[in-house]
Amino acid sequence: MSVDAAAVESLDYRHSPLPVRAGLAGAQQRAWARLAEPGEWWSGAVRVAIAEETRAAMHCAYCRERKAALSPYAVTGAHEKATDLPDVLVEVVHRIRTDPGRLTRRFYEEALAGGLGDAEYVETVGVMATVIAVDSFCDAMGLPRHALPAPVAGTPRRRRPAGAKEGLAWVPTVAPEDLTDAEAGMYDGLSAVNIHRALSLVPAEVTGFFDMDSEHYLPDAQLRDFGTEYRALTHAQTEFLAGRVSAINRCVY
Amino acid sequence: MLLRGSGQHTGDEYDLTAMVEEGAAGGGVAAGEALARYAEAFYEDGNGFAAARDRLHGEIGGEALVDAAGVLAIFNAVVRIADATGIPLEEEKARISADFRGALGIDAYPAAAGKV
Repeated sequence: MSVDAAAVESLDYRHSPLPVRAGLAGAQQRAWARLAEPGEWWSGAVRVAIAEETRAAMHCAYCRERKAALSPYAVTGAHEKATDLPDVLVEVVHRIRTDPGRLTRRFYEEALAGGLGDAEYVETVGVMATVIAVDSFCDAMGLPRHALPAPVAGTPRRRRPAGAKEGLAWVPTVAPEDLTDAEAGMYDGLSAVNIHRALSLVPAEVTGFFDMDSEHYLPDAQLRDFGTEYRALTHAQTEFLAGRVSAINRCVY
Repeated sequence: MLLRGSGQHTGDEYDLTAMVEEGAAGGGVAAGEALARYAEAFYEDGNGFAAARDRLHGEIGGEALVDAAGVLAIFNAVVRIADATGIPLEEEKARISADFRGALGIDAYPAAAGKV
């Protein structure tokens, strides 16, 4: 396969032997652009560095050793870093990327004790989920991964939802009834089930990630419309594959 | 749960154990075995993924393969959102899925003990 480097750089799929739906490619383009921009708590440069570290984690020998151990806390060592991100952030990124099925509340609380804010943690998860989804699509298609975008200059907005509350998850979340005008559209088109609420401490991560989700998976309104097939992959095939991926990752949700 | 719902709508009965058992058959889902192998090979070291993808392509066609890649990719991200935030299953979903979560061993996953 000859690869058009410019096409990879700009995140399109002209180089793909199989046509990629315009909606799907468009969602990834929006996600890639958002990845590079200042977020609520991280600058564009940090967001892109988190993405770079997310990729690097898969080549980290320390992560491999911990993953193989009976307990991740049984192994000591140091991560093979790709960036100058602080150690606490590198630890968060590497653990979530390489061993998500064994994360515990202790892991989250140690990140906070190490100096990470709860909203910074949530935005980190959102950035990671974005790059993992786009990279995994390329890997699953057998295509080269896209170059990470160049960071966009600017200052994080630093807005915390006034209605965020502790209790549902490890991280504070915003219930639909607690939305204020500032994040009023966060659950538009979504049923606000728990997985939608997981990133709600940083509303832009909810809208951004689930914009992408609706094109890779199905929009919420189509999930239970079993009488209509919206994709070439049927509802049953979609749910079977999703369930198999979750099980391989030993994900309870 | 949605697979069960889909089966109830179409009158098909799917074997949900195929979702959790490596190397299992396809659970009665069209091209299920190839879909399962595609997912398993994605996470394995080695050179088996291209063959698994080619097999799936042959069984479901190019357009559906792109859809499958999208589903695999987004769930590879969604599981990390769920596990990294400690978000629990909704009480209602937990109640109606209790039978098969227990039977399939999902409640024994390490993350099941680490939630809120």
